[in-house]
Amino acid sequence: MSKENTSLPLEYRTEENRLKVFGFWIFLGAEIMLFATLFTVYFVLTDRTGSGPAGIDIFEMPPVLLETFLLLTSSFLIGLGVHAMRIGRVKAMIVFYILTLLLGAGFLAVEIMEFVTYVNEGATITTSAFLSSLMTLLGTHGAHVTFGLLWGIAIIVQVVKRGLNAQTANKAFIFSLYWHFLDVVWIFIFSFVYLKGVLG
Amino acid sequence: MSMEELFEPMKEPMIMGAAVSIVVGAITIVAGLTYFKKWGYFYKNWLTTVDHKKIGVMYIIVALVMLFRGGIDALLMRAQTAVPENNLLNAQHYNEIFTTHGLVMILFMAMPFIIGLMNVVVPLQIGARDVAFPRLNALSFWLFAAGAGLLNVSFIIGGSPDAGWTAYFPLAGIEFSPNVGNNYYAWALQLSGLGTLMTGINFITTIMKMRAPGLKLMKMPMFTWSALITNVIITFAFPVLTVALALMTLDRQFGTKFFAMSDGGMDMLWANLFWVWGHPEVYIVILPAFGIFSEVISTFSRKNLFGYKSMVMSMIVISLLSFMVWAHHFYTMGHGVMVNSIFSVSTMLIAVPTGVKIFNWLLTMRHGKIQFTTPMLYALAFIPIFTIGGVTGVMLAMASADYQYHNTMFLVAHFHYVLIPGTVFGVLAGYHFWWPKIFGFRLNEKLGKAAFWCIAIGFNVAFFPLFILGLDGYARRMFTYSASTGYGTLNMISFLGALGMAVGFALICYNIYYSFRHSPRDENGDPWDARSLEWATHSPVPEYNFAVVPEVNQLDEYWYAKKEGRDITAGEYERIHMPNNSGAPMWMAGVLFLFSFFFVFSVWTAVIVFGIATLGFMAFRSFEKDHGHYIEVAEIEATERQLRGDK
Amino acid sequence: MMKELFPKEHVVGFVGSLILTLAALSVITFDMSKGIAMTILSVTALAQAVVQLVLFMHIGETEDKKTLYTSVIYAVVVGLVTVFGSLLTMIWGY
Repeated sequence: MSKENTSLPLEYRTEENRLKVFGFWIFLGAEIMLFATLFTVYFVLTDRTGSGPAGIDIFEMPPVLLETFLLLTSSFLIGLGVHAMRIGRVKAMIVFYILTLLLGAGFLAVEIMEFVTYVNEGATITTSAFLSSLMTLLGTHGAHVTFGLLWGIAIIVQVVKRGLNAQTANKAFIFSLYWHFLDVVWIFIFSFVYLKGVLG
Repeated sequence: MSMEELFEPMKEPMIMGAAVSIVVGAITIVAGLTYFKKWGYFYKNWLTTVDHKKIGVMYIIVALVMLFRGGIDALLMRAQTAVPENNLLNAQHYNEIFTTHGLVMILFMAMPFIIGLMNVVVPLQIGARDVAFPRLNALSFWLFAAGAGLLNVSFIIGGSPDAGWTAYFPLAGIEFSPNVGNNYYAWALQLSGLGTLMTGINFITTIMKMRAPGLKLMKMPMFTWSALITNVIITFAFPVLTVALALMTLDRQFGTKFFAMSDGGMDMLWANLFWVWGHPEVYIVILPAFGIFSEVISTFSRKNLFGYKSMVMSMIVISLLSFMVWAHHFYTMGHGVMVNSIFSVSTMLIAVPTGVKIFNWLLTMRHGKIQFTTPMLYALAFIPIFTIGGVTGVMLAMASADYQYHNTMFLVAHFHYVLIPGTVFGVLAGYHFWWPKIFGFRLNEKLGKAAFWCIAIGFNVAFFPLFILGLDGYARRMFTYSASTGYGTLNMISFLGALGMAVGFALICYNIYYSFRHSPRDENGDPWDARSLEWATHSPVPEYNFAVVPEVNQLDEYWYAKKEGRDITAGEYERIHMPNNSGAPMWMAGVLFLFSFFFVFSVWTAVIVFGIATLGFMAFRSFEKDHGHYIEVAEIEATERQLRGDK
Repeated sequence: MMKELFPKEHVVGFVGSLILTLAALSVITFDMSKGIAMTILSVTALAQAVVQLVLFMHIGETEDKKTLYTSVIYAVVVGLVTVFGSLLTMIWGY
């Protein structure tokens, strides 16, 4: 694990670093399957609304567009963060990471308001199979974002306290992969839950 | 729930007896460790270990214990049905027992046995010092152990799951199964499933990234190949189980409507999700056994494996097809002819790559100098018995014919004819084959062979009658039947066969004791004159596996090196980097055990406390500075001298 | 100094993802058949995923790129089989 290869970016320097990045990609493969299953459940149950509302009755596009914009931008920003890290601009990197998390928190706030609206309209997770599957899909994504916020804070603290080294750079890079992945999942939710839902 | 309800299951004398024996066993272990002052040793060398070999051994120990738990369930079922209108078990107890028998045997016996063997063998076969993520590996084991613990607690506190190992809705829903049994089901499988998923990621990374220099993918031993393919299936199939179990928990404990009978719910969706995971799971437990048989047959035929490339290709094809056949588990649920036809064809397709493998094994043995060792006997018996299982599988694959066989004993006989020669014979062959690598001496061959004959003959006596019973219309999962059906005789024969198998497993246990006392110790680490890298190092294997990582240029490099008189482990020693032990995986799994236990009973305060504690462990891990340690050259020299037996 | 913080690849990716989002939105702003709408959504979503994987996540930057692509494609194939196979089994072919 001591094999250093200085021609690579800092986060790939040690053998252990490379294993972790590789392993995380495999984990993302498993995450693709996790969300594919949730989408399966959603698609199978999407017309099974019982006596509750259908998607077209409750979906409102303005907040959803705001969520999409926040998450897309945060994904862009964390990409810049990794770039800044690679050219050794630690301060810029930290700023980009903090902005990323702030936008993530903004996304979460809008999503929570969206859920509150649904519940106020009488559309709860127990109302119908459609709503159970909708809220579980959105909730799982939201839980991932929430966990990402906690994880991101831990990473920023470590970069600030310990500076950039093979370990912290590796952690920051892996976190960025996670964050981009959540953006990809959201794109699919945006397209195949909301837009498809509004189409009726 | 009142205290009395909580311990309701204990009123059953048989469960009471089992509970008492568990408590007595636990007290014996605790007292023994205390008396011999072994707690420190036990904690430092086993409970906190991150060494893949020790983790593998712990997996196998738990698997053997679970084999006995599941085996006793099986004996009770066969005893109950041995004569018509028997009253040994009541209907409820019988339901619980066939449910836990299935769960225990598949998820807490077959899986850990296979993962245990992979842990012990795969890093050695590829010349690695450990797996890619040793800490995660320990967490995998402890999560699995926590899941196994939770399932076994269920039959003492609160009640076992009783809706079959498939837990079909609506029966498994809160409406028809209001007790906590199926909450236990969801959480026991969830915990061990997460552990398995981590194993999958860990081993893919290990095999793809940590092979010895020169060891190209197409030069890997077949067991490592089967482990790679298996872990790919694990990684992509287990997330489906994770989701299905989460939805089950939501439905049962939070009133969602996924699998409900009202408000748009769809009970069939559970069966669909369960088998989207469940069918790949079948291949997860069978492919590594194929890998073991390949190693064993090649070693004891003194020939290299016939058709290496076609072996690899057929496993890759099986891994993809295994995700495309799941609906054949519920042909009779009522979907249309088109769906049944599609899944019927894809199911029969799987017989093709499997047949290729069977012929490869036969051709490996052709003109070979076959040695009839215990592992080889299991491999030889596997081929014909498994073929019967495979052929009856193709019968079941025909959707229209399946309407006749479905849920009869014919099906039960079929999948036991696949899983016992496939998985059980496979892991037993591997267990006898690699035992000397772990402990430095061979298991006694005479006892091993006696056990083999008991198990092989007992198995056929126990399960062949079930084919006939099934064709006569005997449905599975019936706790009793009337004498007028005429099912009595064949059921009695089957019970006698089960007893024969029990004798075989008892002999396997006795063999451990006997061989510890009497077997001669191995001298050179290669008692079978075998072919792959794991035999190139000492037995027992030192902590760092190989003092010098060997270079590999071909399949069976070690075998050819032996023939040519080369020593592939010769070279300069360098200091070796190794990971540190840690107690965190065990404690974290303990906390998750409590989290799940209280979740089962909906005690939310405790759930929140233990949930936060879990996040605490993750934060601790994130901030922890753990750079491992080095084994210096002097220490390696000393260890090697001692293991070589130099004076 | 500021300019080196905004590499072209990332800016292009970001602008691209915004354009793709707008393209996806066209399915509700314009009147079109459901078939065309779903095709547009599938294409834009897939393109977005590729933008993230290639431009932002640099999936192809290491020697492992073949394995990583294989892993992602395997997951997508098995995922699609699960989605469409389940729809076939549970709804279309029921």
